[in-house]
Amino acid sequence: MLNSLPVLLGQSQSGNAVLVTFLIYIVAVFVIAGLSNKLLQNRNFLSEYFLGSRGLGVWAFALTLAATSSSGGSFMGFPSKIYSHGWVLALWIGSYMVVPICVMGLLGKRINQVARTSGAITIPDVLRDRFNNVTFGLISVALIIFFMTFNLVAQFKAGSEILRTLLGPIDAFNSMVDSMPSWFSSLTSVSADYLFCLVVFGIAVIVYTTYGGFHAVVWTDVMQGIVMVVGVIIMLPLAINQATSVIGEKDSQKTGMALVTAEMAEMLPPRFGEATLSLATIATEDFAIPPGTWIWSKGEAGDQLRLFKTRKRYVIPQGTSDVTEAEVLEIVSPDDIQRAEDLLVSIQHKTTPRLSGLIVTAPQTKKYVSGADEPGAFVTAPGPHRENPDGFLPLSLAISFFFMWAISGSGQPSNMVRLMAFKDTVTLRRSIFTVALYYSAIYFPLVIIFCCARVLIPGMESEPDRIMPQIAVVLTENIGMGWLAGLLIAAPFAAVMSTVDSFLLMISSALVRDIYQRNLNPEATEAKIKKLSYIFTLVVGFGALLGAMNPPEFLQDIIVYTGSGLAAAFLAPVVYALYWPRANHQGCIAAMLGGFGTHLAMYCVGFLNGDGFTPYRLLGSDPIIVGLVASFVTGFIVTIKFPPPADSIVKKYFFKKVEG
Amino acid sequence: MGTDGEQVVPESSQTAVQYELDPTFANSRREAIVIFFCWFVAMCWAVPYCYFNGYNIADPAEIPTTFGIPSWIIWGIGAPWLAADLFTTWFCFCFMKDDELGIAGDEEHLQENQGGEE
Repeated sequence: MLNSLPVLLGQSQSGNAVLVTFLIYIVAVFVIAGLSNKLLQNRNFLSEYFLGSRGLGVWAFALTLAATSSSGGSFMGFPSKIYSHGWVLALWIGSYMVVPICVMGLLGKRINQVARTSGAITIPDVLRDRFNNVTFGLISVALIIFFMTFNLVAQFKAGSEILRTLLGPIDAFNSMVDSMPSWFSSLTSVSADYLFCLVVFGIAVIVYTTYGGFHAVVWTDVMQGIVMVVGVIIMLPLAINQATSVIGEKDSQKTGMALVTAEMAEMLPPRFGEATLSLATIATEDFAIPPGTWIWSKGEAGDQLRLFKTRKRYVIPQGTSDVTEAEVLEIVSPDDIQRAEDLLVSIQHKTTPRLSGLIVTAPQTKKYVSGADEPGAFVTAPGPHRENPDGFLPLSLAISFFFMWAISGSGQPSNMVRLMAFKDTVTLRRSIFTVALYYSAIYFPLVIIFCCARVLIPGMESEPDRIMPQIAVVLTENIGMGWLAGLLIAAPFAAVMSTVDSFLLMISSALVRDIYQRNLNPEATEAKIKKLSYIFTLVVGFGALLGAMNPPEFLQDIIVYTGSGLAAAFLAPVVYALYWPRANHQGCIAAMLGGFGTHLAMYCVGFLNGDGFTPYRLLGSDPIIVGLVASFVTGFIVTIKFPPPADSIVKKYFFKKVEG
Repeated sequence: MGTDGEQVVPESSQTAVQYELDPTFANSRREAIVIFFCWFVAMCWAVPYCYFNGYNIADPAEIPTTFGIPSWIIWGIGAPWLAADLFTTWFCFCFMKDDELGIAGDEEHLQENQGGEE
């Protein structure tokens, strides 16, 4: 038997809504996969399975591209960054204003045309056929498999973490995890609940992707895209309204968001550190302290009362009265402290939470390196940061992120494949417009919502990745519609699912089409290709699932590395292949390897400098910029050093016969 | 045959087959240049404006706001975002050309039965 303290919010109250939403969502995904599988009949299997028969219309094309680009990071990582660093995240995400037109418009029409001309189904197909060079195709396959495999493992882990975050507060979920046999939890180095979520998430994605192929992925993306935008549209007015209500009438000159911004301008970043958590008496049974528990300091003579929050779960064993070196967060803004206390009073129905019987002693906390004790850090740039003295977003990084989202997004093979699948140019034009509106409706409002969250829920820096589900619960329960939280919380796992399924198909298409069919057995029958496609998708999926059971260190860094590395390797050769008739395979291979090598070198230098997986930043810029510059320059120089391509290839891809 | 020219090019005097620059390629290239320029303008507007008005503020606690949002965000990000959306609308419906993309071998049989799907 465990005794425990109430946490800040009634998380389990929304548990049923989350569970029901998740189950409905999974059922819908499988129905879509079943319908998609029917489309595989009577069509060219490979083209349908990996490219949707090049027939995507406006909504399917627009939302699959938008949803694939918006990985779990958009609804978990991005909100947690807004909450932790404030308004500067609007600048961090600012280049999304041109992401739709860049990602879809720069290459879209041309790559679609070249893919149709050559009959290409994958990106390596395009490069191989455009230059009639087998080696180029194999190099690009190798790079795609290298990057995507790491990324897939990381995305599986992210999916499991999101599910664990969402289901964690639900009693039924915890009981189910506790009832798992011991061999089950011994399979992972993380925890039994992580493994349980990984298996549920992984099997769902693998099965519906394998069974339904590209169309299942696209249609689930459409559903996921709708869930995301509806969630944001519902949350925006609720967040503004409730945040202003919480602040009250402090300033009669201001209303609405002005009130929220003024409140944020007075906030100070919290402090992180360790402390001893002590009970007033010896525990008669194990005493559990959940993560996110608010605890006051002892307040001895001359010592001001201070408010702390636990960052992990701790247990005070039976027969003892304290636990030492507990990780805690201390909030220091007077208004934050007052709001936290008001919230505790309302939830625990006590006149004061200071009587909970648990106190913090011997706290050792550290201030932020940038922005500490400076009112206004949350409303100005570069934003507060715990470790970087230059703040969250120094100018060089602001420029880098303008490259990162718009230009690097154009160089992602997962986006390029979608650009090969739209039906016609009318579809492309309307889709660019649709995605532009879609991103406008999501990203800027997200910044506003999670700035309001700073006011509504103080101290969430202790578990920043939980801010999205937490704000959904708070906003909906405050209006007496707790069930609605389920819909809002569906957005993050919709986002990560849509990314994972796309990557899964990318890898299996590289194996089946680019390696097996085009190199090992060009005469393979359709039945054999079909069987292999199912098998490879299953094997790759379960392989990634196994890899994610014991995820390597620096996994989040690996996601960043693979995303920018793919762009550094693929953007220049694809641009040259599509737009430069003089381009030859020597130059484009050099561009690919040059971008890959230079980008990798930045990480190696960082590692040799003792910075772990943090890359070396030349002139303070992200490795993607250095990698892209190296790739374009290398490609250009090598191209002009070698002879131009064969006349027949240039005619095929850049000229057309004049009738008559 | 030159690889950058846009002139009509004879393949050979015997067959008299002539080629012209593929209009889909020409339009795509023109549109890509305009898009790249749009990205560059957006960066030149957003980053310097935010740098001069959002960084190193003398009195950050009294930061000016517009519509309740810090003014440097509204004019450095919100305004160019609106302008980018307007530009995108113009680009999609007034500037971008509808071009022939061709028919791949794997979709030829589909053309007989259906015209794709929405």
